[in-house]
Amino acid sequence: MRPARLTLPTLLVLTAIVTIVPFVAMVLVAFAPPSGETFPNAFIPSRWTWQNFANVLSTSAIPRWTINSLVYSLVSVFVILLFAAMAGYAFAKKRFPGRELMFWAFLATLMVPFQATLIPSYILVSKLGWVDSYWGLVVPTLANSQAVFMMRQFISQLPDELFEAAEIDGASEWRIFSAIVLPLVRPALATLGIFVFLWHWNDFLWPLVIGQSAQMQTLTVGLASLQSEAVPINQVMAGAAITVLPSLLVFGLLQRYLTDSIAMTGLKA
Amino acid sequence: MTEGGRAASPGDENRAASPAGRPDQSRSSRHGRGLSRRSLAGLLFVAPMLVLFVVFRFVPVVGAFWLSLTDYRLSGRWTFVAFDNYSRLLKDTLFHESLIVTLTYTLVFVPLTVLLSLGTALLLQQVVWSRGFFRGVFFLPYVTSMVLAAVIWKWIYDAEDGLLNGFFGLLSLGPYDFLGQAATVLPSIAVTSAWKGFGYSMLILLAGLQSIPRSYLEAAMIDGAGPWQRFRYVVLPQLRPVLFFVLVIETIGAFQVFDLMYVMTAGGPIRASYSLVYLLYDSGFKFFDFGYASAIGLMLFLVVLVVSLIQRRLVGRDD
Repeated sequence: MRPARLTLPTLLVLTAIVTIVPFVAMVLVAFAPPSGETFPNAFIPSRWTWQNFANVLSTSAIPRWTINSLVYSLVSVFVILLFAAMAGYAFAKKRFPGRELMFWAFLATLMVPFQATLIPSYILVSKLGWVDSYWGLVVPTLANSQAVFMMRQFISQLPDELFEAAEIDGASEWRIFSAIVLPLVRPALATLGIFVFLWHWNDFLWPLVIGQSAQMQTLTVGLASLQSEAVPINQVMAGAAITVLPSLLVFGLLQRYLTDSIAMTGLKA
Repeated sequence: MTEGGRAASPGDENRAASPAGRPDQSRSSRHGRGLSRRSLAGLLFVAPMLVLFVVFRFVPVVGAFWLSLTDYRLSGRWTFVAFDNYSRLLKDTLFHESLIVTLTYTLVFVPLTVLLSLGTALLLQQVVWSRGFFRGVFFLPYVTSMVLAAVIWKWIYDAEDGLLNGFFGLLSLGPYDFLGQAATVLPSIAVTSAWKGFGYSMLILLAGLQSIPRSYLEAAMIDGAGPWQRFRYVVLPQLRPVLFFVLVIETIGAFQVFDLMYVMTAGGPIRASYSLVYLLYDSGFKFFDFGYASAIGLMLFLVVLVVSLIQRRLVGRDD
């Protein structure tokens, strides 16, 4: 029992250190002076400097990519939450012709990996004239069946009496939805919002094929292009640190929501 | 846009049905005398997502099947070629190679990530002290992007001034060109991928571990079972469905690997890390061979489908 009592915490701490080292290394390299000593030679930079950040911000299109990533993520969060809550409410609490069929169609497409429909999605977007535009980037990714499922699951747990009482009082359908359903599912909306944000903020393949000019790339695609060009490693790491900031912010503020909902629903970002 | 999570089970469909307490409305719709207020509201609420879904999900799924039977080109001109694309796949060495690369990667990655997430979940379960903090640390890489993981780890593996070779240098070993050699490139990428993603499976397994009734373990302890025996005969059988879920999710994810290869190795050295999705991407966006690329996409779908069906079978047999 004695040795085990020490071994396990040691193992835990070691694993944690190994997990965190790549991030620490990224930060150290990003703040090291642009020329000369980098990591293996000098573990801690001799002096800390913002120079790499200034350089990468002025030579690359990071500000523009940040705007694109924000548009992609935030518009998606807003629209998906609204439409998925509406559809989830209808599937959970309304009877209408074709309901079962529609629901099964939503369910079936979850099985098809996104990459399998990459080509037809791209052709569709190009027929619409949306390649290299925000429309092409955002709109096709709004069709999110997983969000519909999640909202349906949450809303079906709400008691029907709530809606019946409101209906008897003469509340309009939209009012029932906006004044009763939405406030009650706020925790679910928050959780789903985090996931949708991370899906889009971290997405790579779709922005890669749609954003063809440097002006329409997102941060992930831009960072990959920095890496492939001859940009000095200090600047690449500074760029990397910039891209990860919003994810870390979401993580720091909302970690509980995120981890609890994965444990409960198996939702995958 | 990853849609990998667990879908709602069809079984709870009935729960969603509204109560039977409104005979007037259900009768009116059953007799087809127009839509009741409720039905109309339902349709209107579902409409925005339904339109998006039909246009941007359903049309591409059907389109993928159709495209794979044509020689659709960038110009938009096409002829129906039946199964030519598929017979081309069977003969294409690029396809064979990418399939082998993807399978090899999967065989390395899945055991690695499952062991890592099971190990950390067990550690967290055992060590009560600062559990939340460590759980957060292990989960941190998961909220970052694959591109970020690829950028950091490409430098870590760098043969000249990478972190890993820096440490090996202190031991007078190396330098090793981890990403530049066919033998080490896939394991190196698998390590990066496991680092990035193990926090997810760890959380699922941790939830599974915590749902094992304490009394089972106590009973085993009273019977004199040691830690290994408790793990082998109590924890593992109880954890089986969760472990299986994790295994399937990770396998499906592994077959879709692309971002890491694109950023870290560009498929190299000499296509040693040229995955199935990489071939799909190149066929579509480098050679503009859209019909052929769609056929590759459907192969990917087939693999995912088979893996999911095997899961259904094996888990179904348990209950």
